[in-house]
Amino acid sequence: MAVIVAVVVTAIVGILGAGALLLDRRPPAPAGEQNGMNRHLAVAAILWVIFTALSLAGAVAMDPFPTGAAPEAAFSDHAFRLMTYMGAPILGLVLAGLVYSVLTFRSVGGADAEDGPPMKGTGMVPKVWLGATTALAVTVMVSPGLTGLAEMRADRTSDMTIKMTGQRWSWTADYPGGITSDELVLPVNKRVKFEVTAPEGDVLHSFWVPAFRNKIDAVPGMTTVTYITPNRIGDGKDDVAYRVQCAELCGLMHARMAMNVRVVDAAEYDKWLAGKVKK
Amino acid sequence: MPLLLGFIFGGVGFAVGAGLLGAIRTSMGLEFWSTDMSWSIAYPVALLGWLAGVGGWKYWATEWFGGTPAVSPKGVSRYFEFNMDHKVIGIQYGVTFVALFLLSGLTAMAIRYELMHPGMQLFNEDQYNAAMSFHGIGMVAVAVAIVMGCFGNYVVPIMIGARDMAFPRINALSFWLVPPVAITLVIAVLLGGWDTGWTAYPPLSVLTKSGQTLFNLAVTTFGVVSILGGINFIVTIIYERAPGMTWGRLPIMVWGTFAGSIIAFFFTQGFAAGLLMVLFDRVIGTSFFGAAHGGSALLYEHVFWFYSHPAVYVMVLPAFGAVLEVLSHMSRKPLYAYKWVVGAMLGIVALSGVVWAHHMFTSGMADYLHAPFLVLTEMISIPTGIIFLSALGTIWAGRLWVRTPMLFALAFIFNFTIGGLTGIYLADMPTDVHLHDTYFVVAHFHYTIMGGEIFALFAALYYWFPKMTGREFNETLGKIHFFIMFIGFQLTFIPMFQVGVRGMNRRIADFPAAYEGANVWISMSGFLLGISFIFFTVNMILSWVRGRQAAANPWGASTLEWQISSPPPEHNFDEIPVIQEGPYEYGVPGATPHARLTGAVKHA
Repeated sequence: MAVIVAVVVTAIVGILGAGALLLDRRPPAPAGEQNGMNRHLAVAAILWVIFTALSLAGAVAMDPFPTGAAPEAAFSDHAFRLMTYMGAPILGLVLAGLVYSVLTFRSVGGADAEDGPPMKGTGMVPKVWLGATTALAVTVMVSPGLTGLAEMRADRTSDMTIKMTGQRWSWTADYPGGITSDELVLPVNKRVKFEVTAPEGDVLHSFWVPAFRNKIDAVPGMTTVTYITPNRIGDGKDDVAYRVQCAELCGLMHARMAMNVRVVDAAEYDKWLAGKVKK
Repeated sequence: MPLLLGFIFGGVGFAVGAGLLGAIRTSMGLEFWSTDMSWSIAYPVALLGWLAGVGGWKYWATEWFGGTPAVSPKGVSRYFEFNMDHKVIGIQYGVTFVALFLLSGLTAMAIRYELMHPGMQLFNEDQYNAAMSFHGIGMVAVAVAIVMGCFGNYVVPIMIGARDMAFPRINALSFWLVPPVAITLVIAVLLGGWDTGWTAYPPLSVLTKSGQTLFNLAVTTFGVVSILGGINFIVTIIYERAPGMTWGRLPIMVWGTFAGSIIAFFFTQGFAAGLLMVLFDRVIGTSFFGAAHGGSALLYEHVFWFYSHPAVYVMVLPAFGAVLEVLSHMSRKPLYAYKWVVGAMLGIVALSGVVWAHHMFTSGMADYLHAPFLVLTEMISIPTGIIFLSALGTIWAGRLWVRTPMLFALAFIFNFTIGGLTGIYLADMPTDVHLHDTYFVVAHFHYTIMGGEIFALFAALYYWFPKMTGREFNETLGKIHFFIMFIGFQLTFIPMFQVGVRGMNRRIADFPAAYEGANVWISMSGFLLGISFIFFTVNMILSWVRGRQAAANPWGASTLEWQISSPPPEHNFDEIPVIQEGPYEYGVPGATPHARLTGAVKHA
């Protein structure tokens, strides 16, 4: 779907752009030169389509993501892909313009070399360009930007609350019922509300689990909140995406301020919890 | 000699400051020396001593006491003391910041060696943090000041037909504040460094070791450099233009410098204020940022980014100017959509002040701030798009003379496209909450600042080298530098996007073994990138010392600086020139030359 949108946008912008370039106010050129320019534009437009197609193909093929273990992760990855598709025609355009110009319009140079055509860009082209870039910017702003923001905040319910405390240089997870853990064990498919904080007198930290694609700072004297519904069983011992990693520079052992994450099924979670209570 | 005096007076100043404080402290029954407080008091006194020693007294302050200012020498020695000629100051800035660039680059090489494999290789965690922090502030300082400091100072006054900057003494003052900044930062590293990066977020920066105090003192001084430079450019460009140099005829480099200066002048205070507040928290026990006594860490983030986001436009607006300048002259075409570019630059100035909180989407700031900052941030892509239109429109159908400066300018277009497009992921909340503070961000800002501004810097450096030194540079070495740098740059930073998305966060001395493959690749490519600067350094030194005499106008360019000798005479112009046409009238039938060098009416 996104690919189709991107291709259609490319085509529209391309046609408008080529048309505007042709209509640009320039001193009347000899007929031959005008034909030459049309040919240049046509070849460059084809190059644009090719580069865009290549970029899109790359964007479709790419899989840069770590394990996604929550709907929030799928949502973030989807937005990432969408922006990559939207970026493809822009990258294609710049590449086409650059590559074609460098290959075709070179000269041997010299201090008294011949001048190029005096195109000043006082005609339609900048207006069309402004319109097209504004349209693109507004599109990204609305989706995945603002709609994404709204969706991220839509669901503020939760099945359980875990308090995460970051201190130099370790994490502590406080479960309901006074259970404290140095490992983050989460039952699969339960929506968790994380209340993140740092002790007064400590420094900033940031609570980040790559598999959940979510991050919120631990600020001394303040409680920040985020919600995650883990939906894939996994263990940080096998997959580094399952780890709480401090993502705000916090001094000496910042790099090592990590905590193992385990997403387990309900039975195993109860077992783990029971084991914790016994102690 | 004045340099030596500067060091001696600086040392004396330090002793006097520290001694006075010590005497007061002793009389109050406290210990003589208190690291943070003693440094904070001794540093400004040392700074005054240094300024007096390097020539501030001899050439300037002596006048206030009825003395006669000394006359500057002519030879090479004038570069090593207080000098008010904008061309001398331009070269002083250029050489100093290239040296700082190479030093910070060497630090990056050490960092890449450390990060090649999991576990600790070269550093321990503490040393790593110090190296990373030094690389950060060193490169930020270079990026903020080098294009404006070097080319803004050297070229802009000539381009507008002026004989000097509006405030030559303030200009010299602002340059001579730079060496103490660099020296203090190096001393801080030698004394164990600081570990808060270049951002100095409290509460860590309040609680951490004393190297932080030196950082705050040095970087606050650097803020003064930026503010003084900014106001000097603004006044110079408004009041010192030659007759006929209307706003619509300003070369685009001048516009870029003007726009960047406005930001430097209006926003740098924010950073300086933030750093001083951290210093107060450290030294005299205020509690702006400590939660225990009612402070807020978020306050600093707002104040800091209120400057530090606009700062990237202080870096990049003059770079836009330099690149577009090179593209137009070396394509032999008018700058495409000139007026739109000017509008875009001013638009960026306007927007730059209202986007800062996109650095804080995960900070825990109030929720209602997210949407407006997301929208405003993405609006910046609109004026930036105009810059790309102009760049592409200018080379289209031109007569491209693909020499070293042109190669760097063309590479700028590509790199900045990648930098711009990847910025969108960081402006949108759903992706930013994952990517924030990962290597994706590291790759993104290296694409904009290094791929953008530093490539622009080299375009400018090679382009104006013949004018500034009077020598030709070696074209072959220049091209070797370009190709190794360009390829090394892509190979280093493209994989950083990937490893960031995969879950490697930034500013870490060590990483999980899963990311080793990518990091080996990045480090190897990083070393290749580093090698390119050997060719650059050799080229610059050899060409400056032994290069062939450069012609007055080797590029056949139309702007004013190329119409006078290389290097220009002491006061640039015998008579103030008259501007009769726009700066880029290539191929325009019947266009009169941009400027007439003689027969001007002297302006009052």
